[in-house]
Amino acid sequence: MMTTLLVAKQIMMTLYSKYEVYITPLLKFILAFITLLLINARVGYMDSIDKITVVLIVALMCSFMPMNFIVVVSAVFILLHLYAFSLECAAVVGVGFLLMFLLYLRFSPKDTLVVVLMPVCFAMKIPYVIPLAVGLVGTPASAVSVACGVIAYYMIHYVAQNASVIAAMADEETAAKFRFIIDGLLNNKEMVITIAAFAITVIMVYLIRRLSIDYAWTIAMVAGVVVNIMVLLIGDLMFDTNVALLGLIFGHIVALLLTTVLQFFVFHVDYSRTEKVQFEDDEYYYYVKAVPKVVVSRPQKKVKQINSQRSKTVQRTRSNH
Amino acid sequence: MLNEKRVILMTKMASYEANDGRKNVAIGNYFRSDYIGWQVLKSIISATIAFVVVFGMYVFYNFETFMTDIYKMDLWEFARNILSYYLWTVGIYAVISYIVYTVRYNAAVKSLKVYHMNLRRLADMYKQ
Repeated sequence: MMTTLLVAKQIMMTLYSKYEVYITPLLKFILAFITLLLINARVGYMDSIDKITVVLIVALMCSFMPMNFIVVVSAVFILLHLYAFSLECAAVVGVGFLLMFLLYLRFSPKDTLVVVLMPVCFAMKIPYVIPLAVGLVGTPASAVSVACGVIAYYMIHYVAQNASVIAAMADEETAAKFRFIIDGLLNNKEMVITIAAFAITVIMVYLIRRLSIDYAWTIAMVAGVVVNIMVLLIGDLMFDTNVALLGLIFGHIVALLLTTVLQFFVFHVDYSRTEKVQFEDDEYYYYVKAVPKVVVSRPQKKVKQINSQRSKTVQRTRSNH
Repeated sequence: MLNEKRVILMTKMASYEANDGRKNVAIGNYFRSDYIGWQVLKSIISATIAFVVVFGMYVFYNFETFMTDIYKMDLWEFARNILSYYLWTVGIYAVISYIVYTVRYNAAVKSLKVYHMNLRRLADMYKQ
C-alpha cells in the first residue's frame, strides 16, 4: 500500500516536472473559477458580472497572471457586487480590504493566497484545513494571513446574512446603515473566537513541527486539531456562539485527513520545475533547458504465463527518465 | 568549444537570478541603511493612510454625536489624543517594519554571498 502511494507520488513529480507549464495555469484557473463562482453564489448582486461567461473569461485571465492577481480579481468582484447592493456595504468592506493590504499583505505577498483560500474553504465547509496546512508550511506570521482570511469571510457572510435588513433600510439612512454594518462586524464574537483559535493553532502546529522528534508533523497536526477544538469550545462557553459539537469534531477529522493527504503529496515533495534559461558569454548565446532528475523506481512486475505447458516468469523492470 | 562545467554553473546561476535571486539581487543593490530606511518610510506612509481611513470611518460612525457636541468639545484635547494615537500606531508599525526588513536584508545578503562566490568561480573558469 505504502509502496503504491510512494510510486504515485513519484509519478506525480515526474508529470509535474514534465508538464509544469500547463499544470500551473490549470490549477490557477480552477482556483480562480471556484472562487469567483462562490463569490457570485454568495453575493451575486451585480447581474453584469454574475454570469458564467464572465467568470470563465476572468478565470482564464487569472491562469496566465501571477497568483496574487486572483486575490485582486476576487476583491474587485466582491466590491462590485456590494456596490450594486449598497454603497455603505462596499465602503466598509473596501476599507477592510484596504487596511489588510496596507498593514499586512504588502509585507508578505506570498501569504496573500491564504486570504483567498480561507473564505473558499469556509464556503466548502472545510475551514479547519487552512490553519493546519499553514502551520505546517508557513511561519507564525502566517497566523495574520489566516486572520485576514477569516475577517474577509465573515465580512461577506455578515452582509449576505443581513441583506434583507440592510435592503429594508431607507436610502436616506446612510449613517444608520453604516453603523449597522460596522456594529455587526465589530461585535461578531464568532469571528473573534475563530481568529483566536486559528491563530493559536497555526503557531502551535508551527512550533511542534519544528521540534526534532520523530513524527513531528503528525504530532503537530493532531495537537493542532485538539487545540483548535478546545479554543472553539472555550469560546462557545464564554460567548455562547452555538458551536455544533458533532459538526466541529467531524470537520476536524476531515481536516486532519485532508492535511495528511496534502502533507504526503504536496508539502514533503520537491516539485522541481523544468527551467528554461537564457544567457550569453563572449563566444555563445546559451538557451538551456534544465530538466530535474527524477528517478522512479517502480516495483517489479511478475508476469506468469499459465497457458503454455512450461510456465515461466518474466520479470520486467521499468525505469523512467 | 563548450565547457560543460561552466554551462552547468551558468545555468544554476541564471536559474537563481530568475527565481529567488531576483529579489535578493534587487535588495543587494542597496546599502543596508538605504534599503531599511526606504522600506520603513513606505511603511510609515502606509500606516498614515490606514490611520486616516480608520479615523474617517470613526468620524462618520459618530457623525451625529460630533455635530451636536462640536461646540462643547475641547478641540485641542481631542486633536492631542488623535495625534498621540497616530504616533503610537505609526511608531509601533515602523518598529515592526524595521525588524522585518532588517531580517530580510540580512537573509538576502547571506544568499547573495553564495551567488558572488559562484561568480568568482565562473570568472576563474574563463581565465583558465
